[in-house]
Amino acid sequence: MPSAAPTWATEVALAAFSWQELAQQVVSGLASGGIYASLALALVLIYRATRVINFAQGELATLTTFVAWSLTNHGLNKWVAFPLTLLIAFAGGVALERVVIRPVERAPVLTVVMLTIGLLIGLNGLTAWIWGGETRSFPSLFSTGTVDVGGVAVSYADIGVIGVTLGAVGLISLFFRFTKLGLGMRAVAANPETSPLVGIRVGWMLALGWGLAAALGALSGILVAPTVFLEPNMMQAILLYAFAAAILGGLESPLGAVVGGLLLGVILNLAGRYVPEVGGESRLAVALAVILIVLTIRPSGLFGRTVGRRV
Amino acid sequence: MRLAWGLRVAAVAAAGLSLAILPFLVGDYRAFELGRMGIFFIAILGLNLLTGYTGQVSIGHGAFMAVGGYTSAILATRCGVPDYLTIPLGGLTAGLAGLLFGIPALRLRGLYLALATFGVAVAMPSIAKHDRLEGLTKGTTGINLPELHSGTWLYGVTWAIAAALFLLAFAIVNSRLGRAFRALRDSEVAASSMGVNPAAYKVAAFGISSFYAGVAGSLYALSNAYVNPDVYFVSLSLFLLIGAVIGGLGSLTGVMAGAAFVQFVPPNASSILDAVSPFAVDSRAPGVPSVILGAALVLVVLLAPTGAGGLLRRISAPLMGRLYTRSEGG
Amino acid sequence: MTRTRVSILAFGLVAAVAAAAAGASPAADPGLTASSILIGGTAPLSGEASSAAAVARGAEAYFKYVNARGGVNGRRITYKYVDDGYDPGRTVQAVRQLVQQDRVFALFNTLGTANNLAIRDFLNSEKVPQLFVASGYTAWGSDARRYPWTIGYIPSYLSEGTVYGRHLVKTKPGAKIGVLYQNDDYGKDLLNGLRKGLGSKAGQIVKAVAYDPTSTNVDSQVAELKGTGANTFVVFAFGKFAIQAFIQANRLGWRPQIYVNAVSASSNLLTLATQTSSKKTTTGAISIVFAKDPADPSWAGDPGIKLFEQIMKRYVPGGNLKDGYYSAGMASAFTLVDTLKKAGKNLTRQSVLKASANLNEANNPFLLPGIVVKTGPSDRFPVEQMQLERWSGTRWTRFGGLVTAKS
Repeated sequence: MPSAAPTWATEVALAAFSWQELAQQVVSGLASGGIYASLALALVLIYRATRVINFAQGELATLTTFVAWSLTNHGLNKWVAFPLTLLIAFAGGVALERVVIRPVERAPVLTVVMLTIGLLIGLNGLTAWIWGGETRSFPSLFSTGTVDVGGVAVSYADIGVIGVTLGAVGLISLFFRFTKLGLGMRAVAANPETSPLVGIRVGWMLALGWGLAAALGALSGILVAPTVFLEPNMMQAILLYAFAAAILGGLESPLGAVVGGLLLGVILNLAGRYVPEVGGESRLAVALAVILIVLTIRPSGLFGRTVGRRV
Repeated sequence: MRLAWGLRVAAVAAAGLSLAILPFLVGDYRAFELGRMGIFFIAILGLNLLTGYTGQVSIGHGAFMAVGGYTSAILATRCGVPDYLTIPLGGLTAGLAGLLFGIPALRLRGLYLALATFGVAVAMPSIAKHDRLEGLTKGTTGINLPELHSGTWLYGVTWAIAAALFLLAFAIVNSRLGRAFRALRDSEVAASSMGVNPAAYKVAAFGISSFYAGVAGSLYALSNAYVNPDVYFVSLSLFLLIGAVIGGLGSLTGVMAGAAFVQFVPPNASSILDAVSPFAVDSRAPGVPSVILGAALVLVVLLAPTGAGGLLRRISAPLMGRLYTRSEGG
Repeated sequence: MTRTRVSILAFGLVAAVAAAAAGASPAADPGLTASSILIGGTAPLSGEASSAAAVARGAEAYFKYVNARGGVNGRRITYKYVDDGYDPGRTVQAVRQLVQQDRVFALFNTLGTANNLAIRDFLNSEKVPQLFVASGYTAWGSDARRYPWTIGYIPSYLSEGTVYGRHLVKTKPGAKIGVLYQNDDYGKDLLNGLRKGLGSKAGQIVKAVAYDPTSTNVDSQVAELKGTGANTFVVFAFGKFAIQAFIQANRLGWRPQIYVNAVSASSNLLTLATQTSSKKTTTGAISIVFAKDPADPSWAGDPGIKLFEQIMKRYVPGGNLKDGYYSAGMASAFTLVDTLKKAGKNLTRQSVLKASANLNEANNPFLLPGIVVKTGPSDRFPVEQMQLERWSGTRWTRFGGLVTAKS
């Protein structure tokens, strides 16, 4: 290490000599951000539909990704296996809600949090039990090539992840706005007590929410596993980043999840690269800081609306 | 009535004596295990005060244990403070951290607080590894504490402290402070309309419960004679929560059950699975302890949400009727 | 809380105490009978490091093989290893159980640097041998005076880094070096070794960037290193992060001379890295090796690897025959058996410790030919020799003969 540690200003000045590297850092930040966004989307969906913060979303995603792996491992073409996995995940999510969450649908927040923590631990163990702990490679939906944009390398896979996630956001928004089921789900989320009065079956709407979120989680896992490699603890670190992304964007907004994710990815990269205090090792701490700052200053996030507290 | 009273005193005295000689009967290792259980007991007691009595969810109490543990380690190695003295100091440091955290935490409700504390638990190891702190925390190499203690020492010190802290918790719960806590849990707006200042009490609750966690963390560091960031990772926070729920939130008696569960179930998970499962399974596979723990938490929340403490209440009610001619209530 | 509840609790406690007392185990000889010897260990059977558990399983398989041939001086080896999930707190509890409850003769092959640091004081104060620790932390050899009961096995990470440094000085005098390292003892030891090996040229490290194992990828760090204009890329990363480093370097069109640490340099990993990045990126990568890699085709037909496969097929059905962790475990198990033989029929902890500090083993079938596992009064590093190897795009080719870097 040089004897005079560079000051923050000097670091920035040195960095300014390489706009190309800065652009590269931003691009790879967006790429990581896409990863966080995809899981954040599942978190947002389930919160919006059921008002639950699902701590087990990551583990559910990992489990379903392993299912996808098993299907392809047994010879199924990935273009068949992956949609099949989404269906299986959907069914699994619905079943989970009906069996495990339904008894405590009306219970206080605390109870459901405990339940999702129990699922977090249990599903993680289940995945390790069935498939073992070793790290595996996972087939990618996209080709491994890169495209050069003015000296900055952008990989097809990274574009693909962001693209698919945005596509999912679009589909979800359409679903919520223009379909009867979507309307029903929004009604239940806003007014669980009065919705039955207009003929909406609350229980099944919640189950639908869990099913969709599980499918989104599976999608996230399928997008992410080629880069971070498949193993039972794959989503553990990503979960906190995904939470930070969802909070940043607003827990109720699917678009917010994506914007939050991309923004977070860039923030983490730039902070890690250009702020000497942070370095490459303290990203989790930065993510935590983001969560704390947003929750204290503007809990509804960038895209959310502030809601009054019910007495 | 007098017979029953005499019986009670004899029972408590017999229990006390048995507990005191227990480590010499079961051997140093079992005493060590029971000491570890005591550490969990203290931490879960603290968590229960926070979550069970004031309704503030914390999935990050392992982080406060880490504060206590590192304080002990640093004081013992750098300042030559004798081990047992570092315990209250570890508790106080953690308590202070809890008070400081409790202030911004005021702005976070239910789910958001759970999320924030979860984040703290997940990020704590990387904070402890940070370059700036490395001179103090020695990063991943960790700190070896100067004194090794026997299982019997750990047992004795831990349970003595646990008994004292239990009485303290009992006193708090039955005092005006405790009633204010319960009022806050049930309805904050109602409580404040009755003159309870939510902010002060909530922050106090955080401080007290993290003091407990800090004491537990110090004891944990002493039991290992070692600290490093991976010793206090996320699972520890989750274990504490599991212990609190299984013991029964809002019940002090259940804490013992919760601590016993968290200490003894994970290492024996394969035997438990073998005993419980109707078909042959590979019980030694990785992940089995987690499955058991997770399933237990889910089952308790669904079937017995008041935990072991609640069950104990239900069992003791008919017994009460037999020992007394008139019902005493309680 | 009512007084009744206190009474119930009290009665319950008395009952529990009685039951516990009934179950207390009596004292016995530490781990030795005329026909058996009980060795204890810990390994991460669960949790994030569980792929390394194969080191324990490999050793166990070797012991079974030896037992089938009559054991050591008539004693069969029972190797009891407990899961510690890579958590040093659990390792402490597990070791206390092994020493005080199970009364093992010695600890062997305990895995993990922090895990071993946590138990070292206890084992030395109880005078229980802590043999052939599965970690490359230098202290296992250099702290011998303070901790005589502890001994390491594999070449230290410090010496591995030194070998890379010296190679650079010799072959690439003007190199501009960028280092990616894992933010823990493992990565830092390697980096310190690199600096030591470079000696006066240590300033040629233009940047050393760390990453935390909880990161999703190392793309940012690799981009940063490329931005320094370095022409040498030293990767001290674990598993998937090493692969990601290759992938990102490839994506950025960066073609430096790459050095990669031994633990991440199995043939399996490099093959995967080549598939996911490109042959151009991985070809020419340099690492070191000291054990025979079962996934390396150049060992086909070698008697040591044949023995390895025979043992695996017999005692680890379903085990991956290409997983180098198994053979690493067998290598240390071989040395333990050797040590026990040397200590003679009248085994005591003291005699075994003495034997482990006076090794001279030249015939370990799982290590590179020519490696001598040697210890002495001033040398507490059993395996010190290693060999440099270069990746051709499809396989490793060793070159330059055996080298050492004394710590």
